[in-house]
Amino acid sequence: MLRRLSKNKMAMLCIAFVLVIMLGGLFAPLLAPHSPYENNILEKFRAPSSEYPLGTDNLGRCVFSRMIYGIRPTLFLSFLTMAGTMGIGLLTGLLAGYMKGPVDEVIMRIVDVMLSFPSQIMVLAVVALMGVDIRNVIIANVFIKWAWYARMIRTNVVKYTDSGFILFAKSIGHRTQYILRHHMLPCIASELVVLASLDMGWAILNISTLSFLGLGVQAPTPEWGAMLSEAKNVMTSRPEQMLVPGIALMLLVAAFNMLGDCLRDAMDPKEARS
Amino acid sequence: MKNYIMKRLLATLPLLLGITFLCFVFINMIPSDPAEVALRVRQIPIITEEAIAEVREELGLSDPFMVRYVRWLGDCLRGDLGISYTNPSRTVVGELARCLPATLRLAGMSLVFVVLMSLPIGILSAVYKGSWFDRLVRGAVFLTTAMPAYWVGLLLMWLFAIKLGLLPTSGNGGFRHLLMPSFTVALTYISTYIRLIRNNMLENMKLDYVLYANARGLKQRTILLRHILKNSLQSCITAIGMSIPQLISGTIVVENVFAWPGVGKLCIASIFNRDYPVIQAYVLLVGVLFVLFNMVFDIIQSAADPRLRKGAA
Repeated sequence: MLRRLSKNKMAMLCIAFVLVIMLGGLFAPLLAPHSPYENNILEKFRAPSSEYPLGTDNLGRCVFSRMIYGIRPTLFLSFLTMAGTMGIGLLTGLLAGYMKGPVDEVIMRIVDVMLSFPSQIMVLAVVALMGVDIRNVIIANVFIKWAWYARMIRTNVVKYTDSGFILFAKSIGHRTQYILRHHMLPCIASELVVLASLDMGWAILNISTLSFLGLGVQAPTPEWGAMLSEAKNVMTSRPEQMLVPGIALMLLVAAFNMLGDCLRDAMDPKEARS
Repeated sequence: MKNYIMKRLLATLPLLLGITFLCFVFINMIPSDPAEVALRVRQIPIITEEAIAEVREELGLSDPFMVRYVRWLGDCLRGDLGISYTNPSRTVVGELARCLPATLRLAGMSLVFVVLMSLPIGILSAVYKGSWFDRLVRGAVFLTTAMPAYWVGLLLMWLFAIKLGLLPTSGNGGFRHLLMPSFTVALTYISTYIRLIRNNMLENMKLDYVLYANARGLKQRTILLRHILKNSLQSCITAIGMSIPQLISGTIVVENVFAWPGVGKLCIASIFNRDYPVIQAYVLLVGVLFVLFNMVFDIIQSAADPRLRKGAA
């Protein structure tokens, strides 16, 4: 599968792009020419120059530096969301699928109720309840998303429970924990990776949307959604302020979506050829 | 068919109960004491311990959790969702009723956009698969799914309102005010459904009945219009119908971008004001709508396609 993926130019391009962005975020202090908070009101709305590669914003802050520092919350928080979601989803999904009976019933009914709400509403409800704070946004995102994973993983577990290799492992007396980890997980892993890659885009959009509304990352912290929110205030006089963060968001989300599609094709060669 | 409808209705009940329970748990997890809030709402200047205890007794807050839930559920069914914390002269139901029409208009217009744009574009790109039109559409679909809705809204606002001066920037007025926000809401769904319709039609084209129709020597156009289209549109219409509540909830962000006075704007304002009863009512409303629409379109689909009924029964 990996070999097929490495032949796919588009997939490699996406991976490279995401990696560059990640490294950029990691080494932000080295790459950014200015501090993201350093303001200079005399230098506001400067056009791109060698000193300010992407110009300056309404407070004279370097847009390029803010973009680079903005990678940190955007990507890190999305990764955190996905890690939490997959962790809980995996645990409950495996439990429900493998234990069956009442455990399965209870978990799946909870999942049903969770899935009957539109996700955006649930995020808002949780943020409203716990107060406006970025930590709560992550909790809210995990809270609504785990149910999708739980259902997907349960379906897969049920599918594989009666397959030969699991029955064999059981009959030679492996412990449940061992079977789940060494036989079940590798089967589900590929599908999980596809879903996770597609959902990274979702998480990024969601977090930036909440920041834009003022419910996520708060004002002075550089974050792409929050930057767009600030750009909105000057859109009549300086519309170009909206371009950089918006395009960056679009490219990053597109890269993750494309990566997910490529991974899916690589895993299912039948689909790819048609 | 009657049996199926009954069954579906009965299956919906526990789900609705679950949603109301979740909403009730939600309001009970609020960090502030409802008795204290109630006193403040009545504008009593000095809040003493005794007064709180009195109100606690009066509101029945010391009753067991389940008793309070049942009482709250009864109130809900009678259409009483309490009063707004920030604006005690108004009931929550009144607030929602005031804002809902604007949101429904927005969602309705978006639905028109979704149907009018995704159906023809999806069908055309399936028919002319691989042509420049198809490739263009797929590129556009790919890009729009990656664009944040609020950004699209801002770009449209800049282009049509500021640059070209064709449409008003924001607020709720006539039909012209409606165009930009509803298109922004619709855009995500348009791209989703273009993809859905395209894939659905391509899938249908591979099936045996198309081969048979070809073997019978029917005209390509007849095959396309009478057979493929009929079969693939059914599930798409259902999917669009089921997404109506999502359109309603999807207006939240766009309403805030375009200052549209609907429930989404009310909800965000309530979050900032910590007006919990309003938020709770909003969540309850959308959750119930979601379940009801799903049920109705499920029934419609199974009425149109008897194969599904057998599988479910």
